[in-house]
Amino acid sequence: MSTTVAPRSRKGVDGWRWAGRIFLVIMVLYTALPMAWMLLTSIKSGFAATQFPPQWWPAEPTLASYQKLLDPQNSVGQDFLRFFWNSLFVSVCTTVLAVIVAVPAAYAFSRFRFPGRKFLFFSVLLRNMFPAVIFLVPLFILMRVLGLVNTHGSLILTYLTFGLPLAIWLLKGFYDNIPVQLEQAARIDGATRFQAFLLIVTPLSVPGIIATAIYSFIGAWNEYIYAATFLTKNEQLTLPVGIQRFFSENTTDFPGLMAASFLMSVPVVVLFLVLQKYFVRALTEGAVKH
Amino acid sequence: MTTLSGHSDAAPAHLARRPNILRQMWTSRADYLYVLPAIVVMLVVIAYPIYYTIDLSFFKTPPGLQLRDKIFVGTDNYTAILSSEVFWKVTLNTVIWTIASTLIAFVLGFGAALALHRDFAGRAILRAILIIPWVISAVAASYIWKWIYHSDFGVLGAVLVQFGILDRQPNFIDNVNSVLPSLIVVNIWREFPFAMIMLMAGLQTVPEQLLRAAKVDGASTWQRFWHVIFPHLRGVSTVTILLLAVANFNSFIIPWIMTGGGPSNASHIWITHIYELAFGRQRWGVAAAYSVLLFIILMVLGYFYVRALSGNESKESGA
Repeated sequence: MSTTVAPRSRKGVDGWRWAGRIFLVIMVLYTALPMAWMLLTSIKSGFAATQFPPQWWPAEPTLASYQKLLDPQNSVGQDFLRFFWNSLFVSVCTTVLAVIVAVPAAYAFSRFRFPGRKFLFFSVLLRNMFPAVIFLVPLFILMRVLGLVNTHGSLILTYLTFGLPLAIWLLKGFYDNIPVQLEQAARIDGATRFQAFLLIVTPLSVPGIIATAIYSFIGAWNEYIYAATFLTKNEQLTLPVGIQRFFSENTTDFPGLMAASFLMSVPVVVLFLVLQKYFVRALTEGAVKH
Repeated sequence: MTTLSGHSDAAPAHLARRPNILRQMWTSRADYLYVLPAIVVMLVVIAYPIYYTIDLSFFKTPPGLQLRDKIFVGTDNYTAILSSEVFWKVTLNTVIWTIASTLIAFVLGFGAALALHRDFAGRAILRAILIIPWVISAVAASYIWKWIYHSDFGVLGAVLVQFGILDRQPNFIDNVNSVLPSLIVVNIWREFPFAMIMLMAGLQTVPEQLLRAAKVDGASTWQRFWHVIFPHLRGVSTVTILLLAVANFNSFIIPWIMTGGGPSNASHIWITHIYELAFGRQRWGVAAAYSVLLFIILMVLGYFYVRALSGNESKESGA
């Protein structure tokens, strides 16, 4: 679709394009080299990782770190797999609940004009502004009152609230772009307002819902502060906290640490790369368009 | 229910006669059901903590969260904070951290979005690689960079030594002078992709005809950027910068995992400092007072945030 109409007589064009290419190369190096070093370190032995000058390429690559982490027979593997499962459970529950709560709210903000609508919308958005640390102590006490301390429920409830604002915002933009005539037609055909919402609008907003779900999932999967505060029992920890606790005891096992970081990143990276087009589209339609 | 009372086009006609807010609320009562779940969750988890924090900031608290024994001290916590040296040190760090991270991440993200806008072979792969740092956990990112910066085996120092730029392995994060810039590099690494995604989305809304017209009229690449693309992206840019600024002001994981605020407070920013006061030294009252000050700053930022967003909103409803 790019413009090939005019002959490129101008000298500046190529200069800018080259500048763009060089810039991209630098950015790719900046982004990829740390990740490449993580991978290279993770397939070294503990001894090979701590040589100076470093082995730029592992002389004897080994998957020992991965075997240790993924083997349910030894204690390290047991812990890691349990943390992994906990993270998955918490993230999936958060995602499902976030979609259930955000979809009707975003729809209402987009379609209805009830008093206080703007105020409520912006108070929802303002939630994004406040850091987790401010909420830690009061929420901890609240969770104690609700009897949720040391349960995954405390994390799910909390993650729900910090995922909601952006989810509602993204989805609202999506609903704004679905023509209201579709629902009006359905209403004329005898559907109730709720049926029109559920059967006509919701299927059309599936891409927005997917984007919302990715966002909630990644947020929950990566969260650290609340998980570090609300959970104390080892068997309940999620990955970010579990890894931190584990490696504060084994400070020199760098290949293990890098392998764990890699394994922790795989699910979210795969999920995002597979579904990224929905995310970018939701941003284009929701947040950016005006 | 036979009326379409929830819809704006139906409601104002009969309300113009009796502008009664309660009545209007009653007519649109069904609308509230849709937002109710979101509002309830928000109230429980947000309104209550804010009230609680403000209340606690006027008390001196014994350690261990035995909050029945708290003593009312008025504004003592606030005067103690404002007259402490650490406060100003941490504030300066926070300002440097927030401004540097936000601006550099934005500029790099903008550049990457522009460079990736034109279609070429391998564009999708490059875009995917550039986005990954934003997706992975900040805890993982912190460990990766901590390892790269390691004072004995760190690869970055080793590269610098190999190329003869330095004569011995440098100390990136155990050094008072280099720790903050080193952490900012990590933070930007994680955040520029967000700016890139936002601006890539924004670039798609720039009308192609307008660019072509400008080209036909003889505008140079720079002129097309400055007079056509940039004005189109002003709204997105404002929102992106605000979101980045808020996120940076609120960052915690990278400084906390990588240095814990050290050495000698050189990498403490507000949030890590509050966390340490509360959970490290158990000075809950002081930490709460810090949080209230933070609220005030955030409310000022929030004013601009809401204004930038409602700019979008009013244009939307105007269209």
